[in-house]
Amino acid sequence: MLKNITVSSAPHVSKPLSTRGVMLDVIIGLAPAMLAAGYYFRIHAIVLIATCVVSCAGTEWLCNLIRKKSNSLDDLSAVVTGIILAFSLPPALPVWAAIIGSVFCIAIGKMVFGGLGANIFNPAMVGRTFLTASFGMLMTTWMVPATIDAEVRTIAADNTVDARTQATPLAYSKQALKARTGAEAVNEQLGAAFTGEIGGCLGETSALALIAGVVYLLIRRTINFHIPLAVLLSAFAFGSVTYLIDSESSISPLTHLCSGGLLMCAFFIATDPVTAPLTRRGMWVFGIGVGAITMLIRIVGEYPEGVMYSVLLMNAVTPLIDRFYKRIPAGGKASG
Amino acid sequence: MVVALTGKHTFPGGIHPPQKKALTRDSQIQPGPAAKQISVLLGQHIGAICQPLVKKGDAVEAGQRIGDCDAFVSAPVHSPVSGKVKEIGLRSHAVLGRAQAITIEADENSPEKQPSFQVPADFDLSKYSAEQICEASRAGGLVGMGGAGFPTRVKLEPNPQMPKDNLIINGCECEPYITCDYRIMLEWTSQIIAGLRLAKKASGCSQAFIAIEDNKPKAIEVVRAALESSGNPDQVKVIAVKTKYPQGGERQLIKAVLKKSVPSGSIPPMIGVVVLNVATAAALAEAVIVDVPLTHRVVTVTGEPVVRPGNYYVPIGTSVGDLIEFCGGVTQSAAKVVLGGPMMGIAIADLETPTTKTTNAVTILTKEQIGRAKFDRRETPCIRCGRCLEVCPENLNPTRIAHAVKHDLLDVAERYYMSACMECGCCSYVCPANIEITGFIKTGKIFVARQKKRMA
Repeated sequence: MLKNITVSSAPHVSKPLSTRGVMLDVIIGLAPAMLAAGYYFRIHAIVLIATCVVSCAGTEWLCNLIRKKSNSLDDLSAVVTGIILAFSLPPALPVWAAIIGSVFCIAIGKMVFGGLGANIFNPAMVGRTFLTASFGMLMTTWMVPATIDAEVRTIAADNTVDARTQATPLAYSKQALKARTGAEAVNEQLGAAFTGEIGGCLGETSALALIAGVVYLLIRRTINFHIPLAVLLSAFAFGSVTYLIDSESSISPLTHLCSGGLLMCAFFIATDPVTAPLTRRGMWVFGIGVGAITMLIRIVGEYPEGVMYSVLLMNAVTPLIDRFYKRIPAGGKASG
Repeated sequence: MVVALTGKHTFPGGIHPPQKKALTRDSQIQPGPAAKQISVLLGQHIGAICQPLVKKGDAVEAGQRIGDCDAFVSAPVHSPVSGKVKEIGLRSHAVLGRAQAITIEADENSPEKQPSFQVPADFDLSKYSAEQICEASRAGGLVGMGGAGFPTRVKLEPNPQMPKDNLIINGCECEPYITCDYRIMLEWTSQIIAGLRLAKKASGCSQAFIAIEDNKPKAIEVVRAALESSGNPDQVKVIAVKTKYPQGGERQLIKAVLKKSVPSGSIPPMIGVVVLNVATAAALAEAVIVDVPLTHRVVTVTGEPVVRPGNYYVPIGTSVGDLIEFCGGVTQSAAKVVLGGPMMGIAIADLETPTTKTTNAVTILTKEQIGRAKFDRRETPCIRCGRCLEVCPENLNPTRIAHAVKHDLLDVAERYYMSACMECGCCSYVCPANIEITGFIKTGKIFVARQKKRMA
């Protein structure tokens, strides 16, 4: 009656959950922002996202082939990386640049370390940093959302490049900071920054869509709230201090949160489990670090935007944080 | 006394696997298969293994002591049947691999023990001294029947260095599928309460609790009613604890009931707590009051492929195969036989494996159920999602320990407190990458034990 019975170590049942499922959840979480990007940037959004996803997946497939490893595309992590990379690129970026970025982020950011789970740095941010360093001009040319009439310009950029481009609020705030006046014009953009009708990277413009996505991830418990909250709180605190000191030329902390890649970073980039600490306390330290460094770069540094560098810097110290905040067993340290 | 039926008491971490208790929840305790051939293993407990007291060819009586040992941490074994010793030799053992066992062929007219013990109406606690109770628990071969099999006498015996003040009777039964303790609570309520009173007296505890998971409201009510009708002279408190695995783990239960942590590397008596399983409490009453040793126990035979799942009163030493056959066999879908529940139970390869004092269930799982866990999905790399940390009831870093073991870094594993792991399996259960975290940790512990042995 009983033939071929199986023997293995307990537990003998498991939760129907897979890495693929986790990644699928993240993709669903990114979907609202994808829709918003499609709405504001139309064909550019579709082309960019498709390019990044396909070239990320292709690179991973090729790397596995070269390393004679089994195909790992079915875990969908390359798709997530592709979407996040696309989200952090300017909508008008040429396709060839997006392909270069994608290849770099998967090959150098992920596969050389040994593939999923082994990479130290967030692959998408590695790719973006590479593109910023290589094609600085292309990476700072911002498109006006398709929903805005090109002739009506709410932020007057020194409009010399192209009729269909504009400065991002953060770039403008940098000028305001230097001129020591005029931050109000940026603050007035808060509403637009919330809905996404504003210049910026593909996926980061609409705060509303990002929030909708993260709510899904939190409900599904795919991520927990510690890192996002830590990032936002520390950025908000940092922004509040500078705003209180000099409200003439500093933009308000709320505008800071809704502009640039901060929300996107707090919800989808800093929460990448592979490159973030494992313990609760470590997560708080990591999140506070990401938020503070971002604001430091934005306010004190030369760049208008600081998310990618702050994430990469904190990624680098993640192993240290994990080692520092070791978990203490419920029964205390005593060894028996 | 008012007792809430939903529990707030609990511990941090843990999981909620599907309970599957409906399969056997309403199955009354019935007599098990008539014993023809019984193999009584000589090591059914934590501690020294017994020496056989009989020889091949000897005639034995039901209840006769057939194996014992002088060590303090040990418990004798008894024959559940009358018959003749057929063989003393190695048998499959769920934990030890293979171990010495006494195989007895039962006589035709061997008395069949029925699950009929009742606490006599004239039960009087003052008739028994603490020493008597401890002695009887040793003589009766009592061990913890919830899983680990720690000799009951060692738990109860008063120790001036470690005075005991809290007694917890464990009726949580947090493992999925198993319902034997639930049935015992419903049907043998008076025995449990008598056992509790005896244990409380023997150990000198000042307070006693019965902890039951809140998915068994009927058991909570029955036990409460029984305590009330007896006047509850010992002020026993019934505690409804949250339904969560591994709520029935000693350390988790103590945390939930007493808000105390048992230090790593210690056992509950060291902080003055005694935890007894409900089945052990009932067996204690029987051993003390009518001087009958532990030779039978209730076993839940369960799982979707079993034709007639239920709770059976089984002679200890019955082979798993006989038990399954008695339940009408299994359907085609059966793929794994587990002694115990699906979370911590041990999968066996040999259906001749005898049941022991700690075998609370035989769970048969289907290919689909285990396939989801072990076959269909290959292991993928750890993405450090942290789910294993969230569910670990001992607040460890399971993935770190498992990967240290995987890469042969036992010192790193120990630095992350590998020895504090109780192997509950929560981490493996939730792992999306399908990594056998618990398996790696178990392996690591065995390696460390071997290393220590070599150095000694």
